[in-house]
Amino acid sequence: MSEVSGSVNASAVAAKKKLSSQFFKKGVSVAILSGMCYGLYSAFLTLGMSSGIWGDWYGVNTAALSAFVITYMLGALGSAINDTISAIWCIGIAAFKGKLGDFFRTLKTKPGRVMMFAAIIGGPVASTAYVVALQMAGSIVIPITALCPAIGAILARILFKQKLNARMILGIIICFSATLMIGSTSLGGDAPAGLALGIVIAFIAAFGWGLEGCVAGYGTSMIDYEIGITIRQVTSGLSNLIILVPIFGIIAGGGFGLSTGLVVDAITSGPAMIWFIVSGFFAVFAYSLWYKGNSMCGAALGMACNGAYSFWGPFFCWIVLGVVVGQEGWALAPIAWAAAIVMVIGILIISMNPLDLFRKKEA
Amino acid sequence: MKPLNYAILKYFTKVKEACADDVINALKGEYGSFKALKKPAVIEAIMTAEANGLLEETRFDADSKGELRVYYRAHEEGAATINSYIPD
Repeated sequence: MSEVSGSVNASAVAAKKKLSSQFFKKGVSVAILSGMCYGLYSAFLTLGMSSGIWGDWYGVNTAALSAFVITYMLGALGSAINDTISAIWCIGIAAFKGKLGDFFRTLKTKPGRVMMFAAIIGGPVASTAYVVALQMAGSIVIPITALCPAIGAILARILFKQKLNARMILGIIICFSATLMIGSTSLGGDAPAGLALGIVIAFIAAFGWGLEGCVAGYGTSMIDYEIGITIRQVTSGLSNLIILVPIFGIIAGGGFGLSTGLVVDAITSGPAMIWFIVSGFFAVFAYSLWYKGNSMCGAALGMACNGAYSFWGPFFCWIVLGVVVGQEGWALAPIAWAAAIVMVIGILIISMNPLDLFRKKEA
Repeated sequence: MKPLNYAILKYFTKVKEACADDVINALKGEYGSFKALKKPAVIEAIMTAEANGLLEETRFDADSKGELRVYYRAHEEGAATINSYIPD
């Protein structure tokens, strides 16, 4: 708290303390909620990408898609459709809240362009790097990409002079260890030929998400978070759909015909699209609350709270795909529950000095 | 016309200090029809700017109804950052 005027009465002091505490608690709650929405969005996206035409593509493959298309292009297509639908949700929400005019006005400004840049780095660039790395190096890349909160905190320290002390670094390391515990359940003994390059590409993904988190978080201190997310999803959805998927089509040797055909097949597959509509809805809050949380409590704490998605992702996949839909193989390993507790401890250490809990409050 | 959030930040670069009510009163002429020009949303926007080093708190008191009033200002560095991202 900064200066206080001499005539301030006790009730104003108490109200001021309450306001500051409420703002901090809201920031942490928003950031944690973003991780939960990320888990829900991942679960419904996975469900969408295993329903309708996707079930055929990844299964019997009557369309005779090449291994390249199945490995790389379908992942980009799934993200493209999810983010585009999410963008439609965002525009609808912004219109309902009377913010559509500000959305178009913000697009033309410097912070608006910075937000678009963050969206491209975190959207098509980092997401594609992640998929490619996963294919080249196997599951070893999962813990590498989990470094993104740490990278975000370091970048926020360098770029925006945000606080990052030894205690916060310790908390970030604890959260990273927890993510590593969860990632270990999917680690295989695979060591494919492209391992080294795959690991390098995985760092690009981690850097991209870290940069997006801290830049867009800072951007949200100037741009309304609901306008920020609309810019993010429109940019990411369209750049994925219009640029990335066609590029993959050309590399696959099928040109624009292949990408257009796959897009049409995907969006006319009703049983899949219904889940993309749900995943796109949760993606709105996964990203908007991530930005808002980062802007309210700083990138270090905001990204650590959001980083709990490494628990919420498998958790909601288990609930949605395992318990509700009845697919097998989604049960949550006991280590994931233990990791969730470790993660809470890590977040607590970043957000506050745990010793304060044991100190007597001054009268 | 600027986006509402920009107008809120720019206002602080033009006055010595202001509280949320001052911001709302100053902007209601142009932004009166905006649903987001409500006190809780304006307070949150100001506190978010403070958390990111764009604004700083100067003092606080209670108004005639006993409601808390917190005043903020754009310090030199904050004002320079706001002006570099959001020109007039």
